[in-house]
Amino acid sequence: MKKIKRLLAVISVMLCLTEPILAQASQATSYTYTHDDKMNSVRTQDAYLPQQTITNLGLNGAEDMFIDKQNRMYIADTGNLRIVKYDISRGTFLEEFSHPEFQSPKGIFVTGDGTIYVADSKAKAVFVFDQDWKLVRKLERPRVPAFGDTPFDPAKVAADGRGNIYIVGEGVYGGVIQMSEEGEFQGFFAVNKTELSAIQKLQTVFFTREQLGRLLNRNPVTFANVTLDDRGIVYTVTLGKRNDPIKKHKTNGSNMFAATVYGFEDINDIWVDENLLIYTASKRGYVDVYTAEGELLFEFGSYVSNLDVAGLYNALSTLAVDQKGYIWTIDGIKGYLQSYAPTVYAEKVYEALGYYNSGHYEEALRTWDEVLSMNQMSVAAHDGIGKAYMSRYDFENAMEHFRVAGNHGLYSEAFWEIRNLWLQKYLVYFFAAAVLLYLAIVITERVDRERKLRRLKDRWKKRIMNTRGLGDVLYGFTTARHPVNGYYEIRVGRKGSLPGAGILYLLTFGAFMLYMLGKGFIYQYYDIQELDIGSIVIGFFAFTSLFVICNYLATSINDGEGTLKGVALATAYGAVPLMVSLFAITVLSYCVTANEAFFLDVLLWGGGAWTVVLIFLGLQTIHNYSGKEMVKSLLITALFIFVVIVVILVVTIMCEQVMKFLTTIGKELVRNVSS
Amino acid sequence: MYHREGEKRLAAGLLGLCMLAGLWLPGEKVHAEYIHTNRDTLPPGPAMEMREESLEEYELLYETEGAVYYFREDRDIIAVLDRESGYLWKTGLDAPVAKKLRAKAMGASTEEEFKELENTPVEDNMNEIYTDMANSLVTVEYRPPETLDTPKKTSSASSGSESTLRKLEENRFCLDIDFKEIDLQMKVYITFGEKKIQYHIPHQEITGEGVKCMTNLYLTPFLGANGGQLLRFNRDSGDYDIVERKDAPPGYAFVPDGSGALIRFQDNNAIFRQYTGDVYGSDISQWEYYNTVMTDAVPLKDPVMPVFGVALGKDQAAFVAYADEGAEYMSIICTPEENTTYYTWTCPQFTYNVRYHQVFNKAGDGYFQMMEEPNVFDVSMTYEFLSGDGSGSTEAANYVGMALTYRKHLTEQGILKERTENESLEAVSADIPIRLDFLMSDAESGVVGLENVVMTTAEDVRSILTDVMDSGIQNINSGLQGWQKKGVTFSGPGTRKYSSAIGSGSDFEKLMEDFSEKGVDISFQQDYVTINKTMMSYFDNAVKHVNSWYSYVDKSNLLPPTAPVTQFGYARPERSVQWLEEQYEHAKGTALSMTIDGIGSILTGDYADSGHVTVDGARALFQEQLASMEEVKKNIKNPGMYLWQYTDRYLQAPVGHSQFIFETDAVPFLQLVLNGTMEVYAPYANFSFYTQTDILKMIDYNLCPAFILTREPSWRLADTASADLYSTEYGLYQDLIQEVYSQVNAALGQVKGYRWVDRQVARDGVIVNVYEKDGIVKRIIINYTDDPVTVEGAQTPPKSALVTDAVGTP
Repeated sequence: MKKIKRLLAVISVMLCLTEPILAQASQATSYTYTHDDKMNSVRTQDAYLPQQTITNLGLNGAEDMFIDKQNRMYIADTGNLRIVKYDISRGTFLEEFSHPEFQSPKGIFVTGDGTIYVADSKAKAVFVFDQDWKLVRKLERPRVPAFGDTPFDPAKVAADGRGNIYIVGEGVYGGVIQMSEEGEFQGFFAVNKTELSAIQKLQTVFFTREQLGRLLNRNPVTFANVTLDDRGIVYTVTLGKRNDPIKKHKTNGSNMFAATVYGFEDINDIWVDENLLIYTASKRGYVDVYTAEGELLFEFGSYVSNLDVAGLYNALSTLAVDQKGYIWTIDGIKGYLQSYAPTVYAEKVYEALGYYNSGHYEEALRTWDEVLSMNQMSVAAHDGIGKAYMSRYDFENAMEHFRVAGNHGLYSEAFWEIRNLWLQKYLVYFFAAAVLLYLAIVITERVDRERKLRRLKDRWKKRIMNTRGLGDVLYGFTTARHPVNGYYEIRVGRKGSLPGAGILYLLTFGAFMLYMLGKGFIYQYYDIQELDIGSIVIGFFAFTSLFVICNYLATSINDGEGTLKGVALATAYGAVPLMVSLFAITVLSYCVTANEAFFLDVLLWGGGAWTVVLIFLGLQTIHNYSGKEMVKSLLITALFIFVVIVVILVVTIMCEQVMKFLTTIGKELVRNVSS
Repeated sequence: MYHREGEKRLAAGLLGLCMLAGLWLPGEKVHAEYIHTNRDTLPPGPAMEMREESLEEYELLYETEGAVYYFREDRDIIAVLDRESGYLWKTGLDAPVAKKLRAKAMGASTEEEFKELENTPVEDNMNEIYTDMANSLVTVEYRPPETLDTPKKTSSASSGSESTLRKLEENRFCLDIDFKEIDLQMKVYITFGEKKIQYHIPHQEITGEGVKCMTNLYLTPFLGANGGQLLRFNRDSGDYDIVERKDAPPGYAFVPDGSGALIRFQDNNAIFRQYTGDVYGSDISQWEYYNTVMTDAVPLKDPVMPVFGVALGKDQAAFVAYADEGAEYMSIICTPEENTTYYTWTCPQFTYNVRYHQVFNKAGDGYFQMMEEPNVFDVSMTYEFLSGDGSGSTEAANYVGMALTYRKHLTEQGILKERTENESLEAVSADIPIRLDFLMSDAESGVVGLENVVMTTAEDVRSILTDVMDSGIQNINSGLQGWQKKGVTFSGPGTRKYSSAIGSGSDFEKLMEDFSEKGVDISFQQDYVTINKTMMSYFDNAVKHVNSWYSYVDKSNLLPPTAPVTQFGYARPERSVQWLEEQYEHAKGTALSMTIDGIGSILTGDYADSGHVTVDGARALFQEQLASMEEVKKNIKNPGMYLWQYTDRYLQAPVGHSQFIFETDAVPFLQLVLNGTMEVYAPYANFSFYTQTDILKMIDYNLCPAFILTREPSWRLADTASADLYSTEYGLYQDLIQEVYSQVNAALGQVKGYRWVDRQVARDGVIVNVYEKDGIVKRIIINYTDDPVTVEGAQTPPKSALVTDAVGTP
């Protein structure tokens, strides 16, 4: 994913902040990104603009913040062992509070009734205060056996005001700790599963328990933060995960997001507003805004280490959203409080989403159109318009927008509706045509008692099959149906030719390319720009040639009777079923919906298997091998191919190194001579 | 087409409405008090109290009617007494070195000695090096060969240096400085004027071994420094530990970041990094690394003019400083309070040598080293002192006065020329002009090579412009981008290869001819600097870094993964000029103007195998070429001051600054300087510059609106290097063009031909721009707030602008 690439770029190279670029207004200090139809990060209109930067609160390593319904901000000023209360509406510092037992207040949460929860990892407790800062309760390590030897170092906390408290503890692999108001351990809510790499899976199979015990990093990743929306639904973010770092939990703890939600690996805070929009912060300075379904709407912010520019971060530690929809963030290293105001563009997007979610589809359609006017590449807008059209039963327009949005699933659903209507309208004509055709055949056979027509057909067929070139190509269909006899004819040189085989190779390649790029939208996931056409062309023909040559070499030292030409022909003629199935799939992909993918899979696997069998039988016939000899020859062929590839790689790398060496010497020479 | 025509029209209408309604969507937003950001201009600060200062240690050098000039030998400080305002400017802080006083305190025993110590406070957080720097006229930064990582500083008033002031003429002196620490000698020629000082440091008189290791030179770094914290001697502890905040006058530093930024003096609670604005952008061929990667952060705005200033109080005292020589190597720095010292100090920095990464293999391995040949240039800086509100002998002592003073200087130099009505490009119309650029085509990867993505044809341009003219907008000029085969990213800058799919040569000729008759100037636009390897071989075409590798920038973070190219190099200045000449030869017969991209905003040297071209060499090449192109008007994108003499239309003028946290205000300094000398255009309204606030900003900053348009929907560009043009389709913009133009024209049309003489902030969010012509004064009141405001009896509705007439002096 491009997002990862961007992150790496930031880490690995110097910042380039002086490069002149397209002169756009750029009132923002970072670009805003969203996802395109392929989930790549692409630029969009500025969604938020830096608003206020408050530098005089004296924050020191603040790690969490919360904004209540009265627009008051509570900041866990971890380094200063205090909670800072700030009035956003008036822009004034209200008060600071510190408790003697605070050692590292890292998490803060305030419920609707004003109860304040402070998570302190070093004090190993969650402090519960009333709105006058009177300590109501101190939640400490549960003593029940179910909690076992799990450490209790609370870093973040959330409470639903109905008796459930969710605590993210440092070094807790079991999940989010759920406690009651009274401090009773309710269990681990939501667990991150351990994700094993392929090597780790192999280790699991072969290693002993002791060996496995000695391995590191087999624990599930730990949660980084937890929050609740107004309905009491729990959301978590997880550090160190590229896919699904954000989760919206059902009451049983499982994830409600159906599709993969992409985010940064260093994600460390989450906020959900009253419209159920999800906001996340990542340590490297990115703020992401997602829909309630986890689709990325906007991403902005950036990392910078040596500048003090509003909206760029040394370390973004936390975020919250106020009652006006402004996003507030804190740079943990610098101690700045930074707010962002949504632009007209972002407000329009939220308005459209609101209309759609509340069932006002006409208004949603109108608003999405406005969004689209500001950004014609907006996937969210195209998707939203498509959905609005769907709800109006305007499937044709819905399909057009889903296509631009890259929404294959809903496009398929809209297509199903249109196809259904079409079938209802025209199916009767199909049946009539089929019946008429059948009747025509029966009648023709009755009338043509001397079988003149059939003989005429057979004559033409024979003439075509005997035509040099065309006949050789069409012979592929004979070998597909009668492989043993067919290949025998090739072996003895009566049938098949190199030009014919060449055309078959080209046709197979053509079918493959058509399959890759020409399918109907429901099944077409690549654009031509995403494919390295040069590599595909070279790869296809190079690998085929390699197989043919290696097989010939392997069999020539194993009493194989086949010539190089014979091997090339056997392979080409064997590819015919695959070629036909690829053509057929491409054509059918325009007629079937996503639910009917099974038919295409059967075609693909059937064609592929048939081709494998044909090539096996073809080579066996060509080389006059027994089955066992044939298997052996294929294994040797594979080994040959492997060796050749390794040799080519070694030679290429060596040549590159030599070239690099010579270039460097040359450059040095030029430099020294010229200086 | 994915979108029905009717819907598109509807959407366009709605777009206009929604963009203009902006914040007033009923039920969607709660109105709030106007909250300014540092993208706005704040009301003026309080007045300052004048204080008498002792000049006991100073000798009188020269005096005029406006000013008296003094000098303090031991600390190399020039003091300027502005007779009009009564303010005493000092080029240095005039502070004792704390270390020496502390040593003295150790041995103090008598009451007299204690009293003397108590009466002589020291600067807090200032070691000897910084105190010397704060006092001195010149400070030099150098990197000794053995410690390349840590630059050191030595100053003209350091104990390790010797400096002598010699009188050459009545008002002309020479300061001979010998930086003994590094064996470096230089001469600073100082000329005093009526109310100005000029410094000249000729390169040929900089001598000694130290030339090799000198990296930067700072001239009067602490002139106008503001803030400060003192430590007073504590008899009880025997040390300087009584902290006392200095009583600093209110004011601000002006830096040319973007259109202009003010950094108001304040007591910061955080340690901010320094602002460094590389005038015209830093020399790419001397960057620390030869290759760079652009990130998600919007690039900082480079100053396009070598000017800065400091203002104190409420229109009381100010100076504006500008460079006439050495600007290509100049940076303007402003160090906010609490960065090392408790002062905010602003000064010019001149770069003689840099540390760069010498790479010796493709993997990028290498080592750091200094340039063998330092940059060769003379420094010429002028400081003009302003006082009062503009009714006295100088312009007002604020940023407007600084802009008008600088503008006057450039006019005297012949760089700017005020256009009369007859010379004006838009003389044919009483309306302000609008810029409508067209993206004709770009290219995406195809099955075999590149495939053109045609967005607008010559015929489309004709129909769109006809449509715009039919709607009542007559004063239009237009640039065509990507008019060649292979489009905007891959067509060679010097070639002319038409594509029939876009338009043939005769199509374009006819188009330009037909519209020039109607007063519409259509020109070809070309970037003469940005190149890529698909476009051409870098050999002999691309700029080489001082480390002998081709310089390039990687934009893969900003472009889609399917973009056909993500790395861009820079054309050698000689090539840029050659291509420009080739295009000029074609254009001069057919087009009224040429639209030039690249050379206005990218000024770089080149370490070519055939010889080193310096940045001032490149500047001279560009100037020479543009001077020879007399038969066409020149529309130049964001040009630096070095090209203003040849610029008829200033495209994509910056609005606002880079938004450093310590930058408190954004001001239209650039626009004030350029007003009336050329047409100045706003950034494209398509991209995050379309709201009502942005329209008001165009009126406030006196900018003509600009759009970039295509006939086809912009999602077709998704796989090209123009993917960031995400909204360009004319069908969606025709109503917005009308709306933006009518609003801006309604205001600025009334002051066409007027001089912009003042800009005031009536209250938070309300700007009053004052224009004057032949004794007629017009005011444009711009109300950025959500409430109606009444200024001088005229009520301006929320989020709107109002023009008022008044006779008399502004």
